[in-house]
Amino acid sequence: MGASPAGAPVTASTGDSAPERDSPPELDPVIHAQARLRVTVALAALGPDERVTFPRLRQLLEMTAGNLSIHLRKLEDAGYVEIVKTHQRRTPVTFVALTPDGRSAFDRYVAALQSLIGTAPSHAPRNDG
Amino acid sequence: MDDGPEGDAPEGDAPLSAIGSLAVIQAEGRRVGRLVRFNPAIVNAMWAVAWFVGFGCAFLAYGPDRLIPGWLGPAVAAALLVAAEVASFAYGMRVGSGIAGPSRTSAAMYGWSWTLGYVCLTVLNVALTHRGLSGPDVTLLWSGSSLLLAGVLHLTGGTLFRDPALYAVGVWTMVCAAVAVVAGVPGNFLVLAFAGGGGFAALAVYTGWVRPRRARR
Repeated sequence: MGASPAGAPVTASTGDSAPERDSPPELDPVIHAQARLRVTVALAALGPDERVTFPRLRQLLEMTAGNLSIHLRKLEDAGYVEIVKTHQRRTPVTFVALTPDGRSAFDRYVAALQSLIGTAPSHAPRNDG
Repeated sequence: MDDGPEGDAPEGDAPLSAIGSLAVIQAEGRRVGRLVRFNPAIVNAMWAVAWFVGFGCAFLAYGPDRLIPGWLGPAVAAALLVAAEVASFAYGMRVGSGIAGPSRTSAAMYGWSWTLGYVCLTVLNVALTHRGLSGPDVTLLWSGSSLLLAGVLHLTGGTLFRDPALYAVGVWTMVCAAVAVVAGVPGNFLVLAFAGGGGFAALAVYTGWVRPRRARR
């Protein structure tokens, strides 16, 4: 735990040409992509002891099965998501849940975003004034 | 319409701006939360309307000075109560679909206890009526027993979810059950409409408005 398995954390950009700060907050690259952020938010909306089937998650996010699988795998590789394949009345079911590591990574991500916006209130810097 | 993936990267792999990320978190969190979290205010509001309008109509349809046809009162009450039951059941199933966990199991069992309780109560009351119970006694049996069961189930819910407000409404509803029978016909209909329906309405306002505002602070 601790180090991000998918590489060094990226520095967030608050705009196309945001000026560098002294120590800009680091945003977790695993979560900081539109689709994986949406997956993480959806899983975080469940209770800490809850898990959701793959088809329901796909329906909630309105994503294709293939695309959801790709992003879930990245989250699983980072240890943020647990995927359990089981059987219910002989029918195979895949359950997806955010791990405690995933939940705290998401909390850190939100805190980093907030501090980023807090330290850079004019996120679209003007060059004309 | 699907936007095709750009190049070999999976769809939606592009990073966002900080503002964009926070907007996604807020909008998606709210949207998904509405779809997966059971909102008791919706169900309580449906039951409040069913009890208030249903038993209100039963009152207006009773006796020689009735304001609406005699058959219409019980028909409206029965139709609204059945509709509320079906709608609550469907809503619970839709919210819980594909989601598992200990708290979901508890909530589903609690939901089922309403359905099972009222099905058995209906069988019991109909059987007693067939055995010769008649007139105002049938009316009092229905009003007393249905309020009592609702009260006990509210107590159970209050215990299960550690919710003192739900527990208090349970106590209130049980007291109303006793008062409804003591009041006799047709006063019992007013007790059902105002006290029974009012209990659900109070819960709807509390769970839908008061508690969320407190939680946000």
